[in-house]
Amino acid sequence: MERLYIEFKNWQSFLKGKLQENKIYAPVDNDGISFYEIIDEKNIEKIVYDKARPVEPFKIFLFPFKEKVVPEILNLEKIVVLGVSSCDLKGIEILDNVFKEGEYKDPNYKKRKENIMVISFDCIQPYSTCFCSLVDVNPYPEKNFDLNLSKIENGFIVEIGTEKGKNFIGKDTRFYQANENQLKNMKENREKAIKKVEEINNEFDFKKRENLKEFHYKEYWEKIKDIENCVSCGSCTFNCPTCVCFLLEDTSERDFFKKIKVWDSCQFPGYARMASGATPRPTLYERFANRYLCKYWYMVENFGILGCTGCGRCISGCIGKIDKRKVMTEILREKVKT
Amino acid sequence: MDKNIYEPIKCVVVDNIVESPTINTIVLKPEKNFSFLAGQFASLTVPGVGEAPFTPSSSPFDKEKLEFTVMKIGRVTEKIHQLKIGDIVGVRGPYGKPYPLEKFKDKEVLLVGGGVGLAPIRALFLALVETYKNYKKIVFCCGAKTPQDYIYKNQLFSDWQKLCEKIPLSFRITVDKKDEKWKYMEGVVTVTLDNLDMDIKNSIAVVCGPPIMMKFTTLKLLEIGFTPENIYLSMERKMYCGVGHCRHCLIGELFVCKDGPVFTYEELKDKPDIWA
Repeated sequence: MERLYIEFKNWQSFLKGKLQENKIYAPVDNDGISFYEIIDEKNIEKIVYDKARPVEPFKIFLFPFKEKVVPEILNLEKIVVLGVSSCDLKGIEILDNVFKEGEYKDPNYKKRKENIMVISFDCIQPYSTCFCSLVDVNPYPEKNFDLNLSKIENGFIVEIGTEKGKNFIGKDTRFYQANENQLKNMKENREKAIKKVEEINNEFDFKKRENLKEFHYKEYWEKIKDIENCVSCGSCTFNCPTCVCFLLEDTSERDFFKKIKVWDSCQFPGYARMASGATPRPTLYERFANRYLCKYWYMVENFGILGCTGCGRCISGCIGKIDKRKVMTEILREKVKT
Repeated sequence: MDKNIYEPIKCVVVDNIVESPTINTIVLKPEKNFSFLAGQFASLTVPGVGEAPFTPSSSPFDKEKLEFTVMKIGRVTEKIHQLKIGDIVGVRGPYGKPYPLEKFKDKEVLLVGGGVGLAPIRALFLALVETYKNYKKIVFCCGAKTPQDYIYKNQLFSDWQKLCEKIPLSFRITVDKKDEKWKYMEGVVTVTLDNLDMDIKNSIAVVCGPPIMMKFTTLKLLEIGFTPENIYLSMERKMYCGVGHCRHCLIGELFVCKDGPVFTYEELKDKPDIWA
């Protein structure tokens, strides 16, 4: 992979130059938390390059909360998204499998994806809820990006992932080949980040995660005390980079068909309820378990990849303070079998 | 450009037949050809109201019209009951796997339908009748709460029974509670499975009905010697997309919309929450 270097102040002016022709989204500091914002001359200084994932998962750009599917959207705008994290890039693989790879293609997804330039960042300071190391994801991007920025002293290593990324830089001479020292600096940062995530998670154990399929019975989940704190708000699913559940709303006018796709959550009691009132998961415990079973069992069967990328948003967003790592560890340690 | 998977085909309502106090059959004429195989389902749009999945109840061989037999139970189905001749609805599909008729070849086929569950069974039955030479015999067991609750009365109690003289077909009909005019069996649908005149080892069973009926029918079929691979169940779940995207219909890792809606009991028996 081609690796370039650019000084921080040069990157800032390069990006400023791109503002005119591009709609650019990036994580911007908001009292210590980074949220995606559209970048302009003012907030460009507040882009967060040295932390970890933004609050919102990257999926919001590919699979927005609400979108028209009939008729499909014809004029999708081209955008540039900065600050995509490694865990979110991994999540794209699930979205691709669902909306792009199968026999049936989503009407908007592929076009949306083609219209996005992905500029990912290395995670420099993982959060206390990050757990990518438990699900075999590294805290720095390895694929699925156009460009990747890795912050080092005074600048960035810029990794070129695609032709599209290469063209974005063009022949700009502010970028030049990274030297050995700079690459060493990047490598050290990456090793530090891995160590940090491992330290954060040293009390948790996901090793036997394939055993989860033995634990689909409600009785096991009823023994996990923390689940009582779940209020079925759905935050864990909406914040998840791989949750893809949606419902279709019909807004047709006579014979002009119109349909809207809106996010749904398996944590909502009405999610799987049929018109008769019957639902396959009538209790909180069954619905709670469903999210885990879907991520670590069903998606693995469906797509051959794990449905959890370790971003930890389901933990940081939980108003019941339920830590997925703790729940998984308890279930997998078979405490529940006693 | 790929065809939009969510764009329905326009259909004109040509009839809306009252079958029972809670069940109607709507007859549609699709603007474009809509072909399906017995057991597959379609998503029916009532414009501005909503969309819901149903298995067509008409013969897959009938290319002129498309019928859905619908129980009034929720918001969309209530509007379906109110549809008038000339109204426009939308249909998209067909989705899912059909009944594997090639596997029924040279076998005895047992159909068990309960209540509105007779709807998909009717499409299958009409397909089997068209190709009856492929099967050793057809035994059609049906149940409903009361005689009034039976759907397809004119066909079931008349035309279809006349077919028994021409092809190897027999009926076993019951109601949970009979009235004074009733001349068939009484009891829940499993009573029709007692003393079956079938070579169970060379038979397959197809079951469709409410969850509780499917559960007890499956247990009874196992008891009388059917193997789990030879019991076909038509499963129902909440559905939106119909194409394996929205994940509402999952039973374990299986999509009812894509891997089903027809499953063998063998495929389902170890999955979570199958009898919802």
